[in-house]
Amino acid sequence: MAVRHLEAEVRQERGVAVLDLTGEINGFAQEALDAAYSEAESNDPEAILLNFEGVDYINSTGIALIVSLLARARASKRRLLACNLSEHYVEIFEITRLSDFISVLPDEESAIAEASVS
Amino acid sequence: MTAPRPSDSRGRVLAELSVPSEPGNERRAMEVVADVIKDVGLEGQRLERLKTAVAEATLNAMEHGNHYRAELPVLIEVSASDTQLSVKITDEGSGPSAFHSETPDIEAKLEGMQTPRGWGLFLIKNMVDDMEVTGDEHHHTVELMLHLDGQAEGGN
Repeated sequence: MAVRHLEAEVRQERGVAVLDLTGEINGFAQEALDAAYSEAESNDPEAILLNFEGVDYINSTGIALIVSLLARARASKRRLLACNLSEHYVEIFEITRLSDFISVLPDEESAIAEASVS
Repeated sequence: MTAPRPSDSRGRVLAELSVPSEPGNERRAMEVVADVIKDVGLEGQRLERLKTAVAEATLNAMEHGNHYRAELPVLIEVSASDTQLSVKITDEGSGPSAFHSETPDIEAKLEGMQTPRGWGLFLIKNMVDDMEVTGDEHHHTVELMLHLDGQAEGGN
């Protein structure tokens, strides 16, 4: 099975910077993830949404990359949200307590709404 | 991958396989194990949890045991009895197992008191019913165990 390297696209949606993630979040993903996050930050949004709809694999190194993004977000007092995680990765976000610091919503619509009211 | 054969008290060996220690191969190992156990009856979240545990143990074996030397394989043995599924993952490292021993604390990580990494063992422990780490001068083995009796209760 070939590694599906992460691709990350950034777009704006009602004042929220949305990172559309596709592929695997593992050790190969750092450059793409960091670059996309930096692009998302460039417009100084209050919230950044990680859209995991196209992600089918996250390993422990990927979890570490997400922790690093969360640290960046907190340092700049930006809110980080996540949507479209599979049931399994929602559980992993809970076990690692990432979900204590990242708002996890089932889909983009509810995540944008959540970001807008807070 | 070899054909099934009788095993010890842990049950019948379903498969023995090896993967080269190259980045990304932990996912290959995970998918092969999932295919091997497709008739064991593990489904839903329990299957996903085992897959994550296999991937993390293989990742650790490739990275810390074999130092990503492709010529050093990670050996995986899958066996099952009526009550237990076992996956043994063996690398060619020596000395103490190189799992990060510090319990990950996300608040400490966010404050820079811990490295962002170090989630592997923690994830494995939370994904399987039991695990055991053994080793000698030439190998480390991580055994992942799932109880099969009573798993039909909700599939979790």
